[in-house]
Amino acid sequence: MEARQDIVLGLALAGLGLAAAWMARGYAGASGIYPMVLGLILTLLGGTVAVRAARSGSRGARALVEAPGKLLVAVGIATLYVAAVVPLGFYTASFLLMLAMPFGLGLRRPVQAGVVAVIFMASVYLVFTVLLEKPLPREAILSILGSSG
Amino acid sequence: MEFYTNALAQVLTVGPLVAMIGATLLGVFIGALPGLNPVMAIALLLPLTYSMDPLVALGMVAGIYNGSMYGGAIPAILLRIPGTPASIATTFDGFPMADRGEASKALKIACWSSAVGGIASAIALMTVGPLLARVTLHFGPAEYFWIAIFGMASVGVMVGSDPVKGIMAAVLGLLIGTMGIDTLSGQARFTFEQTWLLGGLDLIVVLVGLYALPPVLQLAEKCDLKGLSAAQLKLTNMPFTRAELRSFLPTWLRSSGIGIAVGILPGAGGNIAAFLSYNAAKNASDDPESFGKGNPQGVAAAECGNNADNAASMIPALSLGIPGNVVAALVLSALTIHGLQPGPQLFHQNPVLVGGFMMEMLLTSVLIFALGGTLATRVFAQFQRLPGVLLVPSILILMCVGVYVINGRPVDLWVMLGAGLIGYLFEKVNVPLAPIILGMILGPMAEQSVRRALLISRGDATELFTRPISAVLIVMTLLVIVWPVVKALRRRRLRAR
Amino acid sequence: MTFKAACIGLTAAAALAAPVLAEYPERTIEMTIPAGAGGGTDTSARKLAILLEEKLGTSIAILNVGGGGGSVGASQFMQAKPDGYALFATWNSPLTTVPQVQNVAYSLDSFTPIASTSETAYTLCVKADFPATTGEEFLAELAANPGKYTYGNDGIGGTMQLAAERIFQTRQIEAVAIPFGGAGETLQNFLGGHVDIYGGSISTVLPYVESGEAKCPLVTSAADVPALPGASGLEALGMADKETLLWRAILGPKGLDPQIVSLLADTIEEAVNDPGYVEFLKTKGEVPNVVKGEALGARLQAEFDALAAVSKALGL
Repeated sequence: MEARQDIVLGLALAGLGLAAAWMARGYAGASGIYPMVLGLILTLLGGTVAVRAARSGSRGARALVEAPGKLLVAVGIATLYVAAVVPLGFYTASFLLMLAMPFGLGLRRPVQAGVVAVIFMASVYLVFTVLLEKPLPREAILSILGSSG
Repeated sequence: MEFYTNALAQVLTVGPLVAMIGATLLGVFIGALPGLNPVMAIALLLPLTYSMDPLVALGMVAGIYNGSMYGGAIPAILLRIPGTPASIATTFDGFPMADRGEASKALKIACWSSAVGGIASAIALMTVGPLLARVTLHFGPAEYFWIAIFGMASVGVMVGSDPVKGIMAAVLGLLIGTMGIDTLSGQARFTFEQTWLLGGLDLIVVLVGLYALPPVLQLAEKCDLKGLSAAQLKLTNMPFTRAELRSFLPTWLRSSGIGIAVGILPGAGGNIAAFLSYNAAKNASDDPESFGKGNPQGVAAAECGNNADNAASMIPALSLGIPGNVVAALVLSALTIHGLQPGPQLFHQNPVLVGGFMMEMLLTSVLIFALGGTLATRVFAQFQRLPGVLLVPSILILMCVGVYVINGRPVDLWVMLGAGLIGYLFEKVNVPLAPIILGMILGPMAEQSVRRALLISRGDATELFTRPISAVLIVMTLLVIVWPVVKALRRRRLRAR
Repeated sequence: MTFKAACIGLTAAAALAAPVLAEYPERTIEMTIPAGAGGGTDTSARKLAILLEEKLGTSIAILNVGGGGGSVGASQFMQAKPDGYALFATWNSPLTTVPQVQNVAYSLDSFTPIASTSETAYTLCVKADFPATTGEEFLAELAANPGKYTYGNDGIGGTMQLAAERIFQTRQIEAVAIPFGGAGETLQNFLGGHVDIYGGSISTVLPYVESGEAKCPLVTSAADVPALPGASGLEALGMADKETLLWRAILGPKGLDPQIVSLLADTIEEAVNDPGYVEFLKTKGEVPNVVKGEALGARLQAEFDALAAVSKALGL
């Protein structure tokens, strides 16, 4: 058993449950009882997981991440992308993601990545903007071009 | 009988036929993209149809609805990303099958099972539906509470190897389900003064994050720069042997029955039908241990169950004027716009239209055999020929666009990202994800029903147990919990001999 | 340049300069509906949007933001840019009722009223064997049996509940409110006998009144409703001032250009009075009702104040 991970997991959820129960204490009437009970049960279960892990005491750590470098790159770029979608506009940010993510993960074939990016973005545009008419975050680049022109 | 032949004649004209074929394909596509769901597509398309022949409009609804319920299985099998909440149960066995090189077989099973479920459901809609609809009225808040509890009992099959962690995940889901304004008291719960949280966390947003991000991150970790070759895809078209078909028959029958029953009850949805069907198939199996490890019966049960819910969910809408889910509500609003009054007189008022729509639900299910099996599946499988590192950003973009268009608010993207990272860590430490979603779906139903029931009984809790339908549901719940234990004990005794 | 670009980019629905009326509208208008797809407000707004698209010569994209009885959509819309490309199609409850029971971030001042579109009354109905048929008998029966009867409504502190409680308070009636998720769910529980009284929109229950299974003694409008000949309006019961209606309107964000407001209001008026739309409203038991601009603001304020008094008395 991977004791340390389970202790952290158990304690984290127990803490979450306790916090929820504490917050629910102020809720009016019947609307507070249910989440409070749920919070307490979560605390109990989290505690069980932690205690069980501490007792078993095995120390053979299980790898949480197979390739930490790649994962970090992927999560980092994904986070940047989500942060950039609104300020840059959906299509600009997505196109950059299509180029940056494969590069970050080690693909060194810019032509292939570029072609796939163009085809893919074109189909997304067709489906969401032309067919479904869904409003997506507006492109900052259009505003710049528009205001100077 | 004349009712249906007349309707059939109306449906088999160019307009409705083209609408059904196009919409079924579109539906498969919509279901296959995580975040996009049939509700959104139908809501978008219906206004365009206000000026059309109503049978064309309804044909599109039928196609999208049936197609998307199957479409959800495609990414569930190929990538372990459920396209809709109803296809979570499909990932349990579908992905392990794909993992050992049987993707094409799993997809074919999903396709056939979806079609069978849809057909069974449409037949129920056309025959016994209107009679059964009256029966569902006897289900009051107390009965709905027990249905939710019955659904939760099926959590047993998905807790995995560590029951404590499985139940912990379910409780976490129930807790997430309490977020937002409580409809019975107006109390805001766990909203942290954030107005966007007043409606709670959106199920689809959490689902997309929790289920789609971990596989994407794992794909990034694997860092595949080449992609599969055509040969590796193994998209050979293997016909089912007669023995295989026979082995699916009991599963299909059982799942269709469950799907139809869940569908008729207003408020219970295809996701619950899929979980219950999967659970029933596992309980009925001689070898329950093989479920979750790529048992074809698991795929068949889940996919048949979620499609069998579809046409049946139209039963209360068409016969009573009570929409059981959002798609049914959209169909009713379309009928209203075409000048029809939903309610018990609908059948007499416009038999051709009602019968035609039922026919369309049937025909679009049949279409899944043709359209789902070869065309759509092949197109989507090509995705896997791309190098994994190119798939990573593509799926990420689809996730973001799907999540963003639900409510049009950027903060949902962060919720998705957060849920995804938690999902990634949970999987690594053996906490199953399905109970979280199940908790989010059933929690609000259970809580609201029981509180409504207590309001009606003026606080008398015995009312929850004494009503006849409640009693039946309680017994069924106990059976679901006890049955696997009994079976396991018996097996152990046999082995001991 | 870059600073400007960043500023523009940071707002979700960015526009370039102050809108010039001559050019308005030149791109897609986004219409937020604070309810899920398929409901009454959604259907009405989508149908109206099609007519508006024709008249304005631009496309309208619909965004459903449900949750919190409409408060989630309203709060989200409040932050939209007042450039005429963001509209809010709502019913009255999120603006006048929900703030009475929830702690919301918006007030009536957060919006620019453009025009109301249609209205209808709520109704209270009972099964055919209920020991009262007229409005007066119905209220007498409820008053004589305090706490005996349950009535289904659209949610705690919803407009339907307040509409009923306004009447009940006047006659010192005590009935048990059972909140449901919507009129469809209320109807289901009413037909199944789980609640005694149906409270909700007229169109939902109408087929059962026509079939004789239900009878409706009361509507919440002052006048009688032609679709329900057996129901008393509040005027007939001497409570005309307790009228509460369900009505729909289109609003803009705070600070919308008055020229755009009047252009939109006139276009909406035209669209609402389109024969096709009037016919559509009729099937839903609604009638066109256009109140424009500041008059609409005054109507919202008056309703807000009246409902504030009711909810205070209810202790919500």
